[in-house]
Order: sequence, then C-alpha cells, then structure tokens
Amino acid sequence: MIALFAGSLLSVTLGVALVQSSLLLLITAATLDTPPGLGAAERMEFSDNVTAAVSMLGLILGMATFLAGFIISSTFAFTVAQRRRDFALLRLVGAGRGQVRLRLLREAVLLGGLGAALGVPTGLLVMAAQAALMRHQGFVPPGFEGEWRPWILAVSFGTGIALALAGAMVAAHRAARVRPLEALRDTGTAARVMTATRWTAGLIFFGGALALVIVAPVGGPGGGAAMAMNVPLPAAIAAAALSPLVVPLLGRLLPTGSGVIGALARANLWDARRRSASVAAPLIVLVALVIGTAAAGASITDAGITELRRQTQADLVVTATGPVGPAITAVPGVASASTELSIPATVVTDDESSSASALVIDPAAYARAHSLSQPASALPARADSAGPAAGSPAARSDSVSPAASGGLAVRADSAGLAALRGRAVAVGPGGEIPSSGSIRLALPDLDLGSVPVVASVPATISGGANLLLPAGLVPERLLAAAPAQSFVTLEPGASADTVRAALGRIGTVTDADDWLRADAAARSEVNNKIMVAVMGLGALYALIGVVNSIVIGAAARRREFAAARVGGLTRGQVLRAALLESSAVTAAGILLGCLAAAGALIAAARTTSAVTGTATVTLPWTLIGAVCAVALLVTGATSLITSWSATRPAPITLLAARE
Amino acid sequence: MTRADAAVTLRAISRVFGRGNAAVRAVDNVTLEFPRRAWTAVMGPSGSGKSTLLHCAAGLENVDSGQVLLGDTDLTAARDRELTALRRTRIGFVFQSFNLIGSMTAAQNVALPLRLAGQRPSTALVRDTLAAVGLADRARHRPRALSGGQQQRVAIARAMVTAPDVLFADEPTGALDSSAAAVVLDLLRVMASGGQSIVMVTHDPLAAARADAVVFLRDGRVVDRLAGADAREIANRLASLT
Ligand SMILES: Nc1ncnc2c1ncn2[C@@H]1O[C@H](COP(=O)(O)OP(=O)(O)OP(=O)(O)O)[C@@H](O)[C@H]1O
Ligand SMILES: [Mg+2]
Repeated sequence: MIALFAGSLLSVTLGVALVQSSLLLLITAATLDTPPGLGAAERMEFSDNVTAAVSMLGLILGMATFLAGFIISSTFAFTVAQRRRDFALLRLVGAGRGQVRLRLLREAVLLGGLGAALGVPTGLLVMAAQAALMRHQGFVPPGFEGEWRPWILAVSFGTGIALALAGAMVAAHRAARVRPLEALRDTGTAARVMTATRWTAGLIFFGGALALVIVAPVGGPGGGAAMAMNVPLPAAIAAAALSPLVVPLLGRLLPTGSGVIGALARANLWDARRRSASVAAPLIVLVALVIGTAAAGASITDAGITELRRQTQADLVVTATGPVGPAITAVPGVASASTELSIPATVVTDDESSSASALVIDPAAYARAHSLSQPASALPARADSAGPAAGSPAARSDSVSPAASGGLAVRADSAGLAALRGRAVAVGPGGEIPSSGSIRLALPDLDLGSVPVVASVPATISGGANLLLPAGLVPERLLAAAPAQSFVTLEPGASADTVRAALGRIGTVTDADDWLRADAAARSEVNNKIMVAVMGLGALYALIGVVNSIVIGAAARRREFAAARVGGLTRGQVLRAALLESSAVTAAGILLGCLAAAGALIAAARTTSAVTGTATVTLPWTLIGAVCAVALLVTGATSLITSWSATRPAPITLLAARE
Repeated sequence: MTRADAAVTLRAISRVFGRGNAAVRAVDNVTLEFPRRAWTAVMGPSGSGKSTLLHCAAGLENVDSGQVLLGDTDLTAARDRELTALRRTRIGFVFQSFNLIGSMTAAQNVALPLRLAGQRPSTALVRDTLAAVGLADRARHRPRALSGGQQQRVAIARAMVTAPDVLFADEPTGALDSSAAAVVLDLLRVMASGGQSIVMVTHDPLAAARADAVVFLRDGRVVDRLAGADAREIANRLASLT
C-alpha cells in the first residue's frame, strides 16, 4: 500500500519538477534582456542565440510534459490495477461505483497536490541542474540562471493535479466496474488487460506515427527533420499500449532449458501481463525516445555532412575577417574563390520580425563553390578542374552516386543567382524566408527597408544562411568586421604550397578536406549536445519510472513469493526466477522501444532521401548498447533488491495473514 | 411455505461457466427456498456448485436463466445501483478468507458498510456490534494482529452491523481450527435463534448440524434436504453423495 502511494507520489513530484523547471527556464530565456554595451552586430547575434535557446527550451518543455503525462498516467493506472481486489472488497460491503470512482479521483487530487508541493522545491533543484547543463554546453550565455516566478506555483499545482486526475480518470473508471465477486478470488484475478481503451490508444497513436513517417519527406529539410524526431512519441505510446500482447509472447522465448525456474518465470510473465506491461511501458518510452531521437538526429546530421561534402567544390578554405575576396582572387594560382561574409540580420515579413543569418557573396563564385552552376552534362569537366584535389571528398562522392548529383544539378539555380545584384536578395540554403515578393531587411544599425527576393538556392539539410546578399547592398563598415570564409579552387598545375603560403598572409588556410572533417565533427558534437540537453533529464525521469513500476509490482508479490517458497523453492530460486522474469520484460521493452525508434529512423531515411537524394541511416551503436546495458542493469538490480526484501520474512508469516 | 416466509427464493436458476465442450453447469436448474428466520446449511462434494449457488442467491453472480428473489425483490432484474444499495442494507457476507481491509482497524472495518451508505455510525453501535462477537477489547487492532477466529468474528460483525435480512456465509469455519470454529458457530446459532436468516455453505457435518436444515447439492442440482438431523446423519448423507 505504502509502496503504491509512494510510487504515485514520486511520479507526480518528478513530473511537476521537470515541467516547472523547463517552463521557468523557457520564460527566463524568452524575456532575457540584451546586456548593455554590445555593438549592433553583437546585439543581433545575441538575440539570434536567444531565439535558438528559446526554441530548444520549448522542445525540452514539450518533452517534459509528454513524459510527465505518460509516466504519471501509467503509474496511476498500475497502482489502481494493483488495488483491484481492495476495490472489489469495498464493493462487496456496499460501495457504489460512484463511490469507488470518487475515492480514486479524490486520491488523485490529493496525490497531485502533494506531488506538486514536493515538486516545486524539487523543480528548483532540477532547474539549477538543467541551467548548468545548458550553460556548460553553451546553449545559453554564461551566468544564465532560471528565475523564479510567483505564478509558477499555480501552474505547478495545476499541472500536478491535472496530470494526476487525467492519469487516474481511465483507471478509476475501470476500477469502478470491478465485480464484487473478484474480492473472493484469493489470487489477483487475471483481469482483461487488452481493454478497448488500450486498443484504441494503441491504434490511434500507431496511425499518428505512421502519418508522421509518411508526411516527413514532404516537410522539407527543417520540417522533415522535426517530424522524424517526433515519431518516437506517438510510436512509443502505441507500443506501450499494445505491449500486453507482445511481452508475454516474448516470455515464451525464454530458454526452455532453464528448468523449473524458467517455467516459473514464463508462467509469471503470462499470468501477470498487467504488471509486465507496466514495467515495460516507461522502458519503451525511454528506449524509443533516446534511441529514436538520437538515431534520427544522427542520420540527419550525417546526411548534412555528406551533402556538404558533395556540394563543396574547393581545394582550400580560408578563414579571415572583412572583405578579403579581391585579395584572395589576386593570389597567383587561385582559379576562383567564393568569399562569404556572414552578417546577422533581421527580417520582417507580415509584421513578424525574426532574426536571420545573411551571407554576402559573389553570386558566380558562390554557385561554383557550392556546385550550383554545373549542369549534369558538365560532370567530367568538373573532375578536371578539381586538378590536384581529384581525390577530394566532393569528387569521390560524385563517383559514388552520380545520379544524386545529377539530381542536384537539375535543381541548381545559377540563372537565378545571376539576378542577385543591386538591392536584390536571395534565399540561402537555410531557407525560412519567402522565396518571392519582398521582405523588410535590417542589418545591424542599418534599416535597408523593403528589398525584393529574386532567387533561391535549394534548401540543404545541413541548413546554412537564410539570406544571400550581393556585396553592393552592405556598407563597407559592416563588411570590415564580418567573419569571412573563402572556398578557393586552385589553377591546374599551381603549386599548392606556394598558394597556401600566400593565402596564409590573408587568413587561416585549411585543406578543404580537413575543413569538411572539422565541420562534420562540430556538427555531430552540436547534435549530441542538443540530444543531451533535450533528452538527458527526461531519460532519467523515465528510468526512475521503470524502477518505480518494479517496486510497485514487487510490493504486491510478497504472498506470491511466499507461496512459491512454501511450494518448495529456495529463496535463491525465487530470486533467480524474479530476475529472469524482469530480464525478459526488459528485453521485451527494449525490443518494442527499438521498434518505435525504427519508425523515427525510417522517417529520417525518407526525409534525407527526399532532400539530398540519398537515404542516410546512422545507428548510434554506442548509445544503443549503453541504453540496453543500463536498462538491463537497473531493472535487474531493482528486481533483485525488491524481491530480496520481499522474501526476507519467513514465508509462513505472510501466508497466515488473510486480510 | 408462503413466499413471505422465504428469505430467498430461487426459481429454476442455472449458471454455466465456459462454452462448448468446456462448459460447466455449476448450478443446474435449481428451485429452492431459504426460509426466513432460519439457518440453512448447503453441503455437497467439492465442485458441486455450492459457492456458485450462494453467489447467485446473494446477487454477486448473474444467473443465465431463472429468477432470484430476496424477499419480494427480484435480484435478477436489479441494476448495479440497486444491488449496491441491497448490499449495504439487506445482505451481509462472510467468507472463508475473511476479506477484511488490512489497513483498517477492526472498528473501522465494522463501521465501513454504514459509512459507505453515507451514515455516521456511532462508536456505541460499533462497540456493541464488536462486543456481540466477543471482541469489545480488540476494536483498535488491525486484522494482522488478530487470530484467524478473531478476524472471522470481525467479518461477522461487519456483516451484521447493517442488520441485514439475510447473512450469507461461504465456509465461515473453513479456515479455522475446531475451537475457533465452535466460537463462530455458537455466534451464528445465537443470531439465528434471535431471528436472523442465515444461508451457510459448509463442508463440516458438525457445522451443518448446528443449522436448522441442510440442503445437499451434487453436480449443480439439489439432491436432498434434511431438517433437524445430527452430525452423523449428515455425514452419512454427504458420504453417499461422493
Ligand atoms: N469463475 C468460474 N469460471 C469457470 N468455472 C467456474 C467458475 N467458478 C466456478 N466454476 C466451476 O463451477 C463448478 C462449481 O464451482 P463452485 O465453486 O460453486 O463449487 P463448490 O461446490 O463451492 O466447491 P468447493 O467445495 O470446492 O468450494 C466447478 O466445477 C468450478 O470449476
Ligand atoms: Mg466453494
């Protein structure tokens, strides 16, 4: 009994804490004031970073709310199911259905309120941890701290009570329908587990996941990636809802050679489908979210890396400051160079102002450096012009998938970019700007007013600048301080060393190959950091949910264990059977979670294929291994400890109590 | 016997579990009256349908056909709300496994049916009811701190606190040793003599001998009825059934 209430309380407390912390951090970031004393460009960059932080915190808040709702409702449903016999007993002595329901809902309000009361202070600790994590990873400025808002009290109590009530609602309805006669069955009845609610929820969310998988490729690079990353949510709910069908079946796969212990574990798995499903549910969500999102994220990042490799046509990359383009082109041996200066900008469309990144480019050179100008038939010529860098990644990937590259060439828009002069602007590979009409554009301390959008380069999955600007549009004083990146192609036969030495006087020179590698590593690292920030605490919460379910399940098993021991099993054998059972449930949970994660991967593959022409699937094996190991270890240890303590009293004392 | 004299009337009731080849006719077309103000025992071999019959008579189990009347009230037509109300006021249960609520004290367990009915039972009523089963000094104990016989007497007190029309008991002494059983049987005898209608399922001829009449079941059918028989006669009759 105490374990049941403590379990429900814990799920509410941590859920409220997580939601409150994410919400406070989001509000703090959204209302962050620009520090005084920044230049115009720095102010724009600051607000750009804040926008990124806010959208990430929005993701974190969404994840926290989802997890809190899921874990709380599955824990409540489980505790109510565990108390089925108590409710039958109440019904036997004259409790009406309404009374049972009311009692449970009242309990939910109480647990929700109490959970919120504990969750508010816990949330402050969680917030400190979350803010530290985000500071450490550089997603928020140093010194960023979540701020307390008095109204959060109302929100947290509301969240706790609402989530607890929502979680208890279905369970209470079920409990109220329990037949009084069930109180007379000595062992817990095998109530139907696959209820209509479960079927409905399972099928609806399966449909939702399927829809996301189908629609993702149409969503473009940004939308498709977001949809792929979201597949694990509905897929996990569907898998969890349908898990009572699957978990016991997997139990059948337990090695039959394990004798009486194996037989006992198998029988338990079948008999206690409800309990197995309750342990599996948070595990499925944990595995699906962590592995699914990480795999989708890694696939999309890798697709971006491959795409960049394929599109970048350069031998050297020069990093410098200011308009160094003419100086670089003047270096003997340089065939062409696309010098790109990045400048923060603010774009107003339809009264909505958003920060954007702009690149000041030379259209012809830009098109050459990013393989926008080569028609499909010109492929061999490019291999020629690559000269000394014939083995460059760009050339290599072309030879691997000429079809994909051909597809790119068709979409290339050199004619459009040629129109990029005067006051005209173009949509960059980062997109998010309307590709026709005009926009209001402001640069740091300079309002350019309305400018026409005349062209757009194909959006890339790796993103990039939102806007491309011709050099004439931006005043010298802004260009002088802008970070510049030049993609340099050498003339055939030019001495790379001589050119490098000459370019070294202008800026830092890197081999294009090395530059791409470093860029890939940086992208992967950012992706990983985002995953940790978004998933880290949520995964921990789901893991605690798993432990919670095992403890709740074990609390009701003292008599069952005692009966097994009276039946001739030693304590060690009972423990081994419990361990075997929990391992089987864990394996089933992992499997179902992976199935849900596979949905995300399929969506990612379809999206990358639609955007870059090649389906990219990256499996983060280390993470998968780690998640499986942690899940097996934690569930194994928990079930050993709980069954060890449940078997501590002499069996006869437990069997004697006939309550 | 006129109908007003019957506490419970069963009219051609049947209860089948399972389907097809696996179907078990646990109660097979039974017509029977349990008289008012009398103690009736139900006996029969294991699996003969005693518990099922009792559950049907008490409105805990639906019948597949036939009619169950509690006094004049038709239980077969009653909806859940009415059955619930009946359980609070007119029907009491005692079972082999005592089915007390472990987290509540003896007094709280006894007060429970009245509280569920929205009443505020006086401490005096609860104390008197516990005293009537000889447990006045155990009111504050929880079930796990009571012996089996004491737990069963708490269960009887809980069933009696609402002054039900009929007390249904399924093997109330089944889990007790002979001395604890004797205390419970004495208690039931006192209640029956005081005018309480009791229907009791039992395996024990000694227990059945304390009742006013014994009904014998086999394979879901009533096969015999004895009144005022002693334990030896009852045991012989039972033995002839198995
Ligand atoms: N819920 C049920 N589902 C399926 N069959 C049932 C169910 N309850 C009882 N039965 C079957 O109905 C028959 C009568 O059972 P019942 O419990 O009434 O017997 P009983 O006379 O009380 O036996 P005992 O003396 O062993 O308690 C048995 O064959 C039993 O297997
Ligand atoms: Mg029985």
